[in-house]
Amino acid sequence: MITIELPAVMENLDDCLDFLVKGIEQAGIDKKTVFQLRLACEEVIVNVIHYAYPNQQGKVRISYELAEDASNLVILVSDSGVPFNPLEKSEPDISLPIEERQIGGLGIFMVRKVMDSVEYTREDGRNILTLRKVLMK
Amino acid sequence: MESLMTIELAGNILNVTLGGKLDAVRAPELMEELKKMSGQKLEKIIFYTAELEYISSAGLRAIIFAKQKIGLDSEIFFVGAQEAVLDVINMSGLDNFLTILDKV
Repeated sequence: MITIELPAVMENLDDCLDFLVKGIEQAGIDKKTVFQLRLACEEVIVNVIHYAYPNQQGKVRISYELAEDASNLVILVSDSGVPFNPLEKSEPDISLPIEERQIGGLGIFMVRKVMDSVEYTREDGRNILTLRKVLMK
Repeated sequence: MESLMTIELAGNILNVTLGGKLDAVRAPELMEELKKMSGQKLEKIIFYTAELEYISSAGLRAIIFAKQKIGLDSEIFFVGAQEAVLDVINMSGLDNFLTILDKV
């Protein structure tokens, strides 16, 4: 696993995402998939920035592992903040007209769309989201 | 910052040109600019997106905001979007409520 850990603030979002995107681009993953992975990770990291540390400063840790044959990718995003399972948010009703759209929930909805699986666990005082993607060859 | 954004009011048409990335870092700037337009009677809000490389839910929120807060009576256009950006628009179901054009 390759890991980066940075203070969970919006100023570090680009660095977090560039870390991941540069790594997977080097592995020759196609542009569309890289876009989707950036999207999923942004949504998940922004959640950490917004909700994990309501009363103090904290860090977000991003790790990823690409299978040797580049057939699949696992990304872990974790924090040591308050217990928070973003997957429990109710799904937005995307059939509602734009005038009635709720602002929340769209991010996680899209994470589920572009990843093959998303799992939440709470371990040793950490929120851990595990994102998996099967990659096209 | 790769924020490339211009907003220009021409009569009752609001022209918004977007480039680079419209994400959680940069969408708040667009939201602020759009807020300044509240109270205007807009007939059309046109987003020119040929140079827009990336959009996340934060960017979509800014577009939903444009409709709900400043453009309830206006038609929203999304012009020239790249395929990856359109995929996000379609995924969110917003494609049903925007007029998507290759060019004007």
